[in-house]
Amino acid sequence: MSLPLLPTSVVGSYSMPGWLERMKTDYVLRRVSRLELDEIHDTAVKAAIKDQEVAGVDIITDGELRRDNMIDYFAERLPGVQIDRASKKFYYDFYDSVVRGKMPMSGLGLAADYKFLAANTERAPKFNVTGPHSLVKRIRNEYYKTEEEFATDLARIMNFELKELVRAGVKYLQIDEPYYSGFPEDLPWGVRVLNTLVDGVDARITLHICYGNRYGKPTWAGNYRYLFPTILDAKVHQLSLEFARRGGEDLDLFKEFSGRFEIGVGVIDVKDHEVESPDLVAERIRKAAEFVPVERMFVLPDCGCLHLPQAIAFSKLRSMVRGAQIVRDELKGKK
Amino acid sequence: MILHINHVQPGRAESTSGVVSTLLSLLEAGDIDPNTLGHLNVHIDWVQYKSNFREPVSIRRVLKDEELLPLADIAVDLRQLQPEMLRKSLSEALNGAGPDALDTPRRHYLEAFTPMRSSVIWTFNSIFWKYLPIWEAASGKGYEKALPGGHSDGHNIQAIQESILEFWEMLQKIEKQNLLPPEIFILEIGVGTGERACRWLDGFKELDREKGTQYYPKLRFLAADYSVATLHRVMESLHNHRDLSTFVEVDAVNPFKSLSHLRYKVMLITLSNVYDNLPTDELVLRDGKLFFIEVRAYVPATEVTRICEKYRIALDRFETSVQRLLELGPECFESLDQGMGFWQELWAAVRLEERLVSAHNLSEAHLPTGLKPSHIEGLIENAPANIRFQLSSGATESFINTIPLLHPRGVLQVQDIFVEKLTDYLHGFRGPGKMDGSIVNWVNGALLDVVGAQSGYDVHFAPFRYRKGSKTSVLYTTQRE
Repeated sequence: MSLPLLPTSVVGSYSMPGWLERMKTDYVLRRVSRLELDEIHDTAVKAAIKDQEVAGVDIITDGELRRDNMIDYFAERLPGVQIDRASKKFYYDFYDSVVRGKMPMSGLGLAADYKFLAANTERAPKFNVTGPHSLVKRIRNEYYKTEEEFATDLARIMNFELKELVRAGVKYLQIDEPYYSGFPEDLPWGVRVLNTLVDGVDARITLHICYGNRYGKPTWAGNYRYLFPTILDAKVHQLSLEFARRGGEDLDLFKEFSGRFEIGVGVIDVKDHEVESPDLVAERIRKAAEFVPVERMFVLPDCGCLHLPQAIAFSKLRSMVRGAQIVRDELKGKK
Repeated sequence: MILHINHVQPGRAESTSGVVSTLLSLLEAGDIDPNTLGHLNVHIDWVQYKSNFREPVSIRRVLKDEELLPLADIAVDLRQLQPEMLRKSLSEALNGAGPDALDTPRRHYLEAFTPMRSSVIWTFNSIFWKYLPIWEAASGKGYEKALPGGHSDGHNIQAIQESILEFWEMLQKIEKQNLLPPEIFILEIGVGTGERACRWLDGFKELDREKGTQYYPKLRFLAADYSVATLHRVMESLHNHRDLSTFVEVDAVNPFKSLSHLRYKVMLITLSNVYDNLPTDELVLRDGKLFFIEVRAYVPATEVTRICEKYRIALDRFETSVQRLLELGPECFESLDQGMGFWQELWAAVRLEERLVSAHNLSEAHLPTGLKPSHIEGLIENAPANIRFQLSSGATESFINTIPLLHPRGVLQVQDIFVEKLTDYLHGFRGPGKMDGSIVNWVNGALLDVVGAQSGYDVHFAPFRYRKGSKTSVLYTTQRE
């Protein structure tokens, strides 16, 4: 499947409907069975896929609608992680999860969710996993001597799973590591375990780093300067970063360190309900193009659309696609 | 009949039981329609505010789809009740409970029934703040003298010092991570006289100097108030900190509107005694069914006559005089003395008649902007079947429109009178009351807790421990993980 110049994609999550939130919470509170919830998820995922397709997005996801949040989807599946099922009352809360011994090697069984996505779209499907650095910040460690040691074991287990995903057909893979921005001092070991995670994984790999999107607001503040030069050692193809909300103030970093990565440029502010016009999106792409060659640029929202109402999320994606098309047309005209 | 005793004031057990025995006596004498009694809820309260909007005994009728239901509430304020008037007051109230009861000619209504938040009493509240200096001159005392303790808890030096230290320590932690922003925004909403702001900034500057940190020059202090006159006064109070201060006119209910450029940037936001003065609605659960409270303000006819005579206003000009006061202020009368006298006595005489309006579901409720039915559902999920509580409409809206300004590591601190648990509403009357020419209401902290949780903030309450007997508490937020 060939992609156009300035391919558009989503970061991962799509708008979570209020009724699905209630169903998920009902499942947590044991009012809805797993079977019923799975059926509901299938329906909701198909709707999310359709919205992305109609909006015209090139690389799509399942909207991550099966996930309660970016941690529990993995914590529930990771071998050796103990979950206290009574510890959450609302689906979006985090389970109280803990590791009390060395984690055994085992699969997570994520391929089924990817296959469902791939079977229901003709667009390029992408699969996201939360990176080991972010996972160790939320799963309590009562065994490993250091966070890096814990994260390295997690990375080994997940590396096996990523290879399973590739065997299932995954070509676009994304690692989400928003906690880098909250713990910039961890970045050296964060990148080491990231490289363990992706070692030998034959896919186009994107590393998404934002400032958090929990409850639709940033969890941290700062700028991307902390990433450099350490991030240059990361064995990934693309960095996906948030620039729309933050105003592109540190885009210049990517001129300074150009050439190492493709850049997924965030052009949609997912923390603001006001829908950007296609012209504004085009302006943001042009601004980014001053620092990143268009041949190496992907167009994305800043982060997941989870907290946006469906109509707003859809309109924002459509604006993103139209904004990218405006710039493509301009570039074509110049040739 | 169901009797709800919300509070027993020491030494008042006799008058409480007197209410019951008088009701039974009226029934025995055939003065109460037994059909009414079967649908009656009697609430015995102790109204905290000496000055309020209640009669000693009042009736609240219940409507469903524009039709009066037999269900009715009788509210008794033991504090105002004179034992010798009990029988007469109860009898009159009960006679007003029937479906055929008409509006009483003994009341001069200032409005038709309306949700509480849009009642004319809030216009009275607005003109109080608009003409505060004139009111203070006429009453011979500053507004703060009307507060419990005679001054604002917001100015408490010990509380300010602790706030400064906590903030400085927070900045230290952020700096250790190299995440300190180049500008450190602080916002005070409802800055009042500027006294608190001045003490805070003086104290912070001193601490910064002592510790040898360089935070003070990075501070950007935003003094915010809805009154431009107040902001001018604050400019003088903050003359030592003018270089880092900005004065912003904001709507307390929607600070984000004026300050959206500071989204996610403000490290500390403080409000003192702002929420308790913002418009509110009230909801009632009766046997698990939901009702809205509607009110209409009135002045007892005897008071209308007395006030008009005293201030030489023709009776048929009473309504016009009220309208002129609310639109043009006390200066539009023949003399300022006449205007102020009329205003103060009129305000003291204003009462609220209430009725309960049945709601089919929460989507019909007058919810503040940004408040979702799911917030209320979360609040009442485990609530008692019979409870009346405030929506704290203005406070909730203000809270929702303030938290997007917070920096990810920022803190919101609100000093006010909070109802921290919904069940606390079972144990007392929470307003509205009158504080000088303004309105005071407790704030539904339990609702703010639910709203905060769904917006990514944990809401905590700490007692204000710097003044003995203070009912104030401090709401503060922490980021919810």
